[in-house]
Amino acid sequence: MKLQSKYPFSFVLGALVLYLVFFIIPGISGIAYSFTDWSSYRTEVNFVGLDNFKTIFSSGERYLDYISNTLIFVLITIVLKTVFALALALLLNDAVKHLTHFYRVMIYLPVVLPMLAVALIFRSILNPATGLLNVLLRGVGLDFLALKWLVDPKIALFSVIGVDTWKGVGYIMVILLAGLQTIPKEYYEAAAVDGAGALAKFRHITWPLLTPALIVVTVLNVLYGLRVFDIVYVLTNGGPGYATEVVSTAIFKAFGQGRYGLGTAISSILFVVMSGTGYFVIRLMERESVSE
Amino acid sequence: MKNKLFSITLIVVVSSLLASCGGAATPGAATPVAPTATPRPTATPAPPAPPATPAPPEQVTLTYLVSQGWLFDAEQELGQRFEEQTGIHIDYQVVPADQYFTLLRTKLNAGEGPDIFGGQSGKTDLKVQYDVERNAVDLSDEPWVELEDPLVLEQSTLDGKVYGLTIWDVFGTTWVVNYNKDIFARLNLSEPRTYAEFREVCQTIKDAGITPIYEPIADGWHHVLWFPELGPRYEQVTPGLADELNANTATFAENPTMLLALQQLKEMYDSGFFGPNALSDTFADATRQIAEGNAAMVVANLTFAQAVKNDYPDFNADSIGVFVMPLADNQVLNINPAGPTKFIYKGSEHIPQAVQYFNFLTQPENLQYFTDNTPNVQSLPFTGVVGKLLPSQQAFLDAHTERGTVYQTAVNYVNPQWMDIGKDLTAMFTGAMTPEDVLASIDSRRAELATAAQDPAW
Repeated sequence: MKLQSKYPFSFVLGALVLYLVFFIIPGISGIAYSFTDWSSYRTEVNFVGLDNFKTIFSSGERYLDYISNTLIFVLITIVLKTVFALALALLLNDAVKHLTHFYRVMIYLPVVLPMLAVALIFRSILNPATGLLNVLLRGVGLDFLALKWLVDPKIALFSVIGVDTWKGVGYIMVILLAGLQTIPKEYYEAAAVDGAGALAKFRHITWPLLTPALIVVTVLNVLYGLRVFDIVYVLTNGGPGYATEVVSTAIFKAFGQGRYGLGTAISSILFVVMSGTGYFVIRLMERESVSE
Repeated sequence: MKNKLFSITLIVVVSSLLASCGGAATPGAATPVAPTATPRPTATPAPPAPPATPAPPEQVTLTYLVSQGWLFDAEQELGQRFEEQTGIHIDYQVVPADQYFTLLRTKLNAGEGPDIFGGQSGKTDLKVQYDVERNAVDLSDEPWVELEDPLVLEQSTLDGKVYGLTIWDVFGTTWVVNYNKDIFARLNLSEPRTYAEFREVCQTIKDAGITPIYEPIADGWHHVLWFPELGPRYEQVTPGLADELNANTATFAENPTMLLALQQLKEMYDSGFFGPNALSDTFADATRQIAEGNAAMVVANLTFAQAVKNDYPDFNADSIGVFVMPLADNQVLNINPAGPTKFIYKGSEHIPQAVQYFNFLTQPENLQYFTDNTPNVQSLPFTGVVGKLLPSQQAFLDAHTERGTVYQTAVNYVNPQWMDIGKDLTAMFTGAMTPEDVLASIDSRRAELATAAQDPAW
């Protein structure tokens, strides 16, 4: 018995050591550095207690706005991606009978495109003067819809959300589609015999049995949204002004300014929030799941 | 309980994995270089082959770490010539601009600096960014020190010691308002000397259906020029202001001239003088906008006309005139004597060879070669170098004898927050911040940077 328990452990030991050295220790060190004045301006590093955290949460700074933007991004992308992905998954699972593989590929294609390329292309498409979108809208007489997508501070964040949703919905769809395909068809047949309509089938069969997949996509969306960086950086660089700044761009800026202690403090907050949010979402949705 | 513990552990592990990879905190973008021009290196003819000489004995390689945009073909050609004469090879390590300062500071702090490193001169940067007293060699006794313009030399001098060599067109890169003379003539306009005249000129041009000023806000740095480039005017109204700001006995928020300048800048934006798409315009398109007559004016280098001519060979460079930015009724010429500068690392094992390289570059014939073969360099701040300014540009410089140093160089902790000021100004244009908020924000960031640098004045 002892050999049986030691045998698998010895195989994962190497990976555990690597994980410890390259993730856990740097992570803990990072949290430790968040209590220091570590910067590029001098070589010595001094303990400063909670000063960095006080800076982040003080009313004169903008970090609370960055956190707010991040949470708005998370909430809206969760809803949009899940709703669109679920709709597409339901269509591809049931309603669409022909070319289903082709549609899956086309919907999944944006996922495999490099984020940098997508963001650069959309920056051009969404240019208010010469961008393809506004040119098309003006061409068909919908001038009132030709907005300043990435330069109007009121709508810039939602434009970024839109681009991110377009890129990510395929990934969520694939997961939900897999979840739909694990639901036995007999349940739907039995429900049909009992006279249940489409809405009733969705409510009483699809939704409860899809909950595990929904938990997965929600956690993935939350964790992705909390650390979103590249699409914001390339599309707007946090602008116009500070309208689309998020936590990750703030971390990037702090490190760029040489304020490493502050940067690691923001990173530590992000880590705690991500851990807590992920745990909370899983526990919440586990209560809603139905076991066979 | 076990399940709960397992769930927590799983979440922490997954979170740490996801937080560590992907697009999160990656030390990266440094503060931008000062708004001196980043000329585009172009292909130049190779220097004439030197006479054949026997290969000298020493085989040393000097590493030269430099930001993208600071190294021109002409210097590399001179470097090849230097190697042929001395056997000393220059290894040019060019780093993208947004990563450069972070990489350089990391190397200097780790005690692993390159033999030669590039950096922006300016008293704040010498101390705060590069800590030259610890990291750079004193070059005060080198022969080229006597040849360099004193204003420029001062920016690479700290406590009486010269630490850097600035081979940069500081006068040609002066930021002024370039205007289309043909449009002005057609609308019967003359160069404005006050803000009221400037506003009237802009309105007349706008009424004629032309964008008065091409102001590319999207880049994040260009629209900032309107503010610290007026440093000489602030200094004229409040003599000694720069010293007071550096001594932390004055603030930006308390200065009425600065507030006036920002209010006027906001008024210009609100009046539509920057065009309908200023928030998405980029500086890369400036030459086209002026050449095609879509915009009448643009804030650009003194030698912008040559850049337009370079892009549009049929364009008449003499059809562009210049005047100083007239916000707050300014008429003082703004000079930024600071610029990309070369330093020799104090920990280098090849200091004599690096000094030799600097002395080679500053030989009169080599400085002239550099000037003649770098399209975006019109003059160098060294005695004896013949410049390439247009007669009108030289006349402009000669007429503006009253000059001052721009505030991103004269005042500490302004240049490092250039892009942040850009964001504040964009927020001001869109109504999210007031001019007062912008000034307070600048003061706040100055305090943060000064505290991080342990400046005794804070």
